[in-house]
Amino acid sequence: MDWLSNLIGADWARAVGQLVGINVGFVVVLMIVAYTVLAERRVLGFIQGRLGPNRVGPGGLFQPFADLLKFIFKEEITPSASTRFIYFLAPIIAITAALMPIIVYPFGPEVSLPFIGKFHLVIARFDIALLYVLGITSVGVYGVALAGWSSNSKYSLMGGLRAASQLISYELSLGLSLVGVVLISGTLDLYSIVEQQGGWFGLRWNIWDVTRAPQVIGFITYLISAIAETNRVPFDLPEAETELVAGFHTEYSALKFALFFMAEYVNMFTVSMLATTLFLGGWQGPFVDVFPLLGIVWFLLKVSFFLFLYIWLRGTLPRFRFDQLMNFGWKFLLPVALFNVVLTATILFFRWR
Amino acid sequence: MFTIPLFVLFGAMAIGCAVALVAQRNPLYSAISLIGVFVSLACIYLTLQAPFIAAIQVIVYAGAIMVLVVFVIMLLNVEEEVRRPVRLHYLIPVGVLLAAVLIGEAAFMLKLGSAARIEPLPPQASDVGLTASIGTGMFTKYLLPFEVTSVLILMALVGAITLARQTRSPLLAAPGNVAEEPPVLDAGSDVLIQPGETAATGRAFAQQQIEQGEAAAAPVTEGREGGV
Repeated sequence: MDWLSNLIGADWARAVGQLVGINVGFVVVLMIVAYTVLAERRVLGFIQGRLGPNRVGPGGLFQPFADLLKFIFKEEITPSASTRFIYFLAPIIAITAALMPIIVYPFGPEVSLPFIGKFHLVIARFDIALLYVLGITSVGVYGVALAGWSSNSKYSLMGGLRAASQLISYELSLGLSLVGVVLISGTLDLYSIVEQQGGWFGLRWNIWDVTRAPQVIGFITYLISAIAETNRVPFDLPEAETELVAGFHTEYSALKFALFFMAEYVNMFTVSMLATTLFLGGWQGPFVDVFPLLGIVWFLLKVSFFLFLYIWLRGTLPRFRFDQLMNFGWKFLLPVALFNVVLTATILFFRWR
Repeated sequence: MFTIPLFVLFGAMAIGCAVALVAQRNPLYSAISLIGVFVSLACIYLTLQAPFIAAIQVIVYAGAIMVLVVFVIMLLNVEEEVRRPVRLHYLIPVGVLLAAVLIGEAAFMLKLGSAARIEPLPPQASDVGLTASIGTGMFTKYLLPFEVTSVLILMALVGAITLARQTRSPLLAAPGNVAEEPPVLDAGSDVLIQPGETAATGRAFAQQQIEQGEAAAAPVTEGREGGV
C-alpha cells in the first residue's frame, strides 16, 4: 500500500483499501449465498429422493442466475392497503442488517501480496467487533417486524409478530452463549480471538480447549439459537406455510422478495462465520504457517460445514409448535447458556489462582 | 481528517430524525425516526472514540427498547392522530418567550461568558471509551453505583410484574392474588367454572367482555364526537 499512500496520503489510502475490501467482500458473499441456495435445493433433492434443479448449465450450475433474472422480470406488486414507505423500507433494512456484519470476520492470517504489501485478511478490525455483530443483528428484527405490519394482511402480521418475538427471545441465549468465549479470550476483537486458538493441531480451538475452559455447552447453545435466529427449520415458524402462507413476506414479490430471501441466506452465512470464528478456530488449520493463503480455504471449509448442517437439518426435522418454541428458548436454552457463563467463570477463577 | 464530514453527516441525520419524530402524526413513523436518532448518535459516539458506548446504544436502545415500542404500536394498531384545533392560547407566546430565553442563555454561555475564554484541550489519544477500560472502571472504582443501579432496575422489574399479575381472571392470577372468592362467571348455567376448564371459561369470559365492552364503548364514542 506504500505507493498508494505516497500518491494520495495515508488516510485516503486506508479508506480506499477498506472500500475495495468491503465491495469485494460483498460480491464474494453474495456469490457464495447464491450457490448456497443452489446447494440447498440439490441436497434437499437428494435427501428427499429426487434430483433437484439440474437443467441450467452443467449440473444446474447456472441456476442462481436464472433465478435472479426471473426475480428481476417478475411483476412488482404493491398492495393498495399497505403503508407504502415502510413497505419499501422493510426489505432494505433486512438486507442491510444482514450484510453489514460480514466486514468484521477475519478469513485469513497476515499475508503479503505483490504491489499491496503486508496486511491482515480482515476487512475491518476494531475493539468491539463482537458487540458490533450483535448490535447489527438486533436491528435486523425491524426488517421482518415492519414488513409484517406494513403489508396490512393478517398472515403477514402474524408472521411478522412471530418472527420478531422469536428473534428477541433467542437473541438473549445467543448473546449469553458467546460470553464464555469472551471470558476465556479476554477481548472482543475477532482477529485476536482467532489468533489465540492457534497451534496444537486444532486442540486449542475454543470448543475443546482444555488448557482454558472447553466451550462445548456454549457451542451447542449458540448453534441452536443461531438456527432460531435465522428462522430456519426446525424454528421456521414465521414462514410456516401450512398456517401463514409465507409469513411476513407474503405480500412481497419480485426483487423485494428476493431481498428478503437473500437476507435469510446471508444471515445463515454470517452466523456460520461467527460459529467458525469463535468456536472452531477461524482460519487456523494445518500448514497455515507455511502458506498463509491456505487460511482462506480452511475458513471456507469450516463455514460450509455449518451451511451443510443447516440444509441437512431442513431435510430431516419437522417444525416446532409456537409454544414449544418459546418454552424451549426461555425455560431451557437461556438457563443452560447462563449455566455455561457461571461454569466458565468458575473454571477460569480457579485456573488463574 | 474524516471526522468533521462524518460529524456533519450524522449530526444532520440525528437532527432530521428528531424533527421528524416530533412532526410525524403516525406513531410508527415516529418510532422509526427515533431509531434513526439512536443510530446516528451511535455513529457520533464512534467518531468520538467511544466504540463500546456506541455498540451498547444500538443494542439496548435500537435493538431492545424500540423493538418493544414498535411491537406495542403494531399490536394496538394505533391509527394516525387526528389533527385537532390548537387549544394552547396564551401558552404559545410563553413558549416562544422561554425558547428565546434559552437560546439567549446558551449564546451568552458560549460567546460572552467565562466558558468562551477557556482554551479547548489539544486532541489526544484516549482509551476511556474502549471496552477494557470501561469494564475495569465499572467493576473497581464505580462498583457501588453500578450495583445500586442494578438493584433499582430490578425493583422496577419486580414492581411491573407485581402490577401485571393483579388480575381478576382466574386463569392468569397468581395463587395469592385472586380475590377471596373466585368470581362466578355466569355462562347461562349455574355451574361454577373452575380454573383449568379452558373452553367453558373462555366462552363465559367472552360473553362478559362483550357486555362490558358495549357498556364501556358508548360514552367514549359520545366524547369523541363532542371533542371534534
